[in-house]
Amino acid sequence: MPDPKMKFLVVDDFSTMRRIVRNLLKELGFTNVDEAEDGAIALQKLQCGGFDFVVSDWNMPNMDGLTLLQTIRATPDLKHLPVLMITAEAKKENIIAAAQAGASGYIVKPFTSATLSEKLQKIFEKMDKSA
Amino acid sequence: MSGDSSDLEALFDSIADGRAPAPAAVPPVVAAAPAPSATSSREVGDSDELQALFDSFTGTQEVVSAPAAAAAVDEEWEGQEKVFQRVGHMARQLHDTMRELGYDKIITQTVGALPDAKDRLAYIATLTEQAACKVLNATDVANPLVDALESDAQGLAQRWDRVFANQLGVDEFKQLAAETRAFLKEGLPQKTSGTKEQLTQIMMAQDFQDLTGQVIKKVVTLAQDMETQLMNALVEVMPGEHRTESVNSLLNGPVINAEGRTDVVVDQQQVDDLLDSLGF
Repeated sequence: MPDPKMKFLVVDDFSTMRRIVRNLLKELGFTNVDEAEDGAIALQKLQCGGFDFVVSDWNMPNMDGLTLLQTIRATPDLKHLPVLMITAEAKKENIIAAAQAGASGYIVKPFTSATLSEKLQKIFEKMDKSA
Repeated sequence: MSGDSSDLEALFDSIADGRAPAPAAVPPVVAAAPAPSATSSREVGDSDELQALFDSFTGTQEVVSAPAAAAAVDEEWEGQEKVFQRVGHMARQLHDTMRELGYDKIITQTVGALPDAKDRLAYIATLTEQAACKVLNATDVANPLVDALESDAQGLAQRWDRVFANQLGVDEFKQLAAETRAFLKEGLPQKTSGTKEQLTQIMMAQDFQDLTGQVIKKVVTLAQDMETQLMNALVEVMPGEHRTESVNSLLNGPVINAEGRTDVVVDQQQVDDLLDSLGF
């Protein structure tokens, strides 16, 4: 079972979306959530340590979600972190690119709380298996 | 304007090839040209003269090719100047054509309408953001109310269960009865009316739809006009081979219209299927 104290980082340039994801995570029992408004800020926060899970948008200023994902996977201290993409990008090549870059899950906007719950569950199961 | 596309192509080729090799090759031929014309005027009859002509031809070319190499830098500049001249010429031609076709006025109008459209879109962004904030605030207020209702009701229910299991004393029972009465008369209606108030807030937050709907319609009309006018102008002046180039990028934002497209997914199921099919 996932630790309810695990720390999430929600990365999205729209505060509304960050709030929605934060609320949904809270409903699922995860209250330890921090936010970042783009990939660059997210990376700074991640490098300070303490995070267990990243939920990221794709299209953001300064550093987009794919670059953030690629940077996380290329950084020894961070590469183990699960990264769930929640994005409006719905082209097949986007999904393939994200999967190839090492995304742990991919959710297209608009999405439901059931979808988020299901994807998180799937990622936790995989983490348990590899642990 | 069909002649323009071949001009453009030649210009593009000359730029793409680095510096124009054609002008470098041309001078020897031009320089050699007087020789054959001079001999041919004397009517070339035998093979000696032909041989001499051939020698003069190759000879001149060798001689000329050396200075040509030395002058390569100059020619490079000359070539660039030519490019600039051609671009200038084309711009002029484009400008004239646009004016002849009456596009210049349309474009001026369209450009004038853009700041207005920008303001309108900013207005939509503000209103929708405000609405989202109002709704999220309302849920933040209503959620604890509903949570409290739930836990209060659960607490009372557990104690009533004990009454039915004969586990409660008379005093305890009296207290439970009083608390239940208070909950039904005060706690419950207070919290439901509080929740109702937030539901009303959420409903009222949708008032942006009417305002943004009107503004969006105007901007859509403007965009449609602009598209037709600019497309007409562009199709008129753009060389054929550039017309079908589509923009290909990974940052496209939401898919507005997926009908007839095979390169996009329309729901989460398709995302999952795609990833499954790839073994992720």
